[in-house]
Amino acid sequence: MTIFYKVKLAFISLSLISATICFSQTAKFQEEKELEVVNFLSIQKVLKKDGLSQSAEMKKKQVSVMKTEQKNLDRARYNYPTEDEIWGLATDYWLIKNAQVLGWDFEKPDFGIENSFKGVLENLGFYQKKFKILVLNTSSIIRGALPGLDGEIVYIISLPFIRSLDLSKLEIAIFLLEDYFRYEAGYFKKAVGTEKLKKMAGSSFYEQKVDLSLMEELVKNYGQQIENKGFSFQQQFETTKKMDTFLKSHPEFWNVYFRLLGKIQNFVKTNHQYKDYIKLYPSPEMQLKWLSPDEKAL
Amino acid sequence: MFFLFFLSFLSFADTTPTDEKVVGVFYMTPIFGHIHQSSSRASASLTTIQCAHPVKVIESTKVLVSPEWAYVQVADYKGFILKSFLSEKRPDCLQGKYPKFFDSLNLDLAELYYWGRLHDHFLQGETRVH
Repeated sequence: MTIFYKVKLAFISLSLISATICFSQTAKFQEEKELEVVNFLSIQKVLKKDGLSQSAEMKKKQVSVMKTEQKNLDRARYNYPTEDEIWGLATDYWLIKNAQVLGWDFEKPDFGIENSFKGVLENLGFYQKKFKILVLNTSSIIRGALPGLDGEIVYIISLPFIRSLDLSKLEIAIFLLEDYFRYEAGYFKKAVGTEKLKKMAGSSFYEQKVDLSLMEELVKNYGQQIENKGFSFQQQFETTKKMDTFLKSHPEFWNVYFRLLGKIQNFVKTNHQYKDYIKLYPSPEMQLKWLSPDEKAL
Repeated sequence: MFFLFFLSFLSFADTTPTDEKVVGVFYMTPIFGHIHQSSSRASASLTTIQCAHPVKVIESTKVLVSPEWAYVQVADYKGFILKSFLSEKRPDCLQGKYPKFFDSLNLDLAELYYWGRLHDHFLQGETRVH
């Protein structure tokens, strides 16, 4: 009986020991599995198969692209406008800075100049031309064609001058046409433009101080050109010849132009207020000569 | 008594434009512009707005507007603006493209006013496409 109990006890203890060994072995395997889960390298193959690493890579690239774009956007906020945009802004800026002198902020009747000018341009075949006309209530500045925004040309014209000469709508349109040819020939931009404008237009002043002397110089040059310098004889000759060429196919326009120059010549000669006109636009008398057919000796 | 009541009703109807209807929201296109007191280029300015500013266009049987003008509301101001200054799409404004350059111009109130007036006074035109 005692032997039977001893055997039974031995068997139980043996089975307990083997169970403990077994348990300890399974516990080790689970830890190892847990370690494997934490270890990224062990699932790299699975991730590669799922395309997860590729999408993570893509996201990384997207973030870097977005960061670069954001940086570029931030930098773009510090850009100078392009050359064409600076010209348009400078024109507005000059007109605003000289609003009182130019006297354009006044009530005026609808002269219909814009429709008349549009008609003349279309008749001569100048299509898709955008323009703005600003009527000035001053006799100190008579005319001009200035660069505008979006490819427009801004024409300025003195109302006292128009009234003194009693110009018709067609005469005003022909008057503006002469300014159009001068503008298209690039005389104004050549006279007013600066090296700084070419150098700085479209560039960035990121992490630098903005240089506004660019605008100040331009505005100063605008005043100089329009009020004092004007155009040379050569430029006037070329403009007159261009008018002659384009208007010859429209004799009614050509006659208006010829008569208009005659009117201006007589007016500026006799009217002291407009004596500077000849200096700025030399000279109606010469223009009439250039237009007149050569006299041949009989 | 009824007549008096009817009269008072009529006067109420005349002073409160209840038939006003917002036609749509448009955006200002010039760099600066004015909301005018009346539909005339020379009329007084109620407020100055800048490019891309949203403008509510209103329709009302009590307000007669010439074809080139729109009756609009901006904040608390109700006034008039040239239709050619409004766009259905938000425009690409120079102030938005070059904010730091524009800020540095340091425009004072008078200059802002004149910039808006300048666009009122421009006589605009464009020759047709061939």
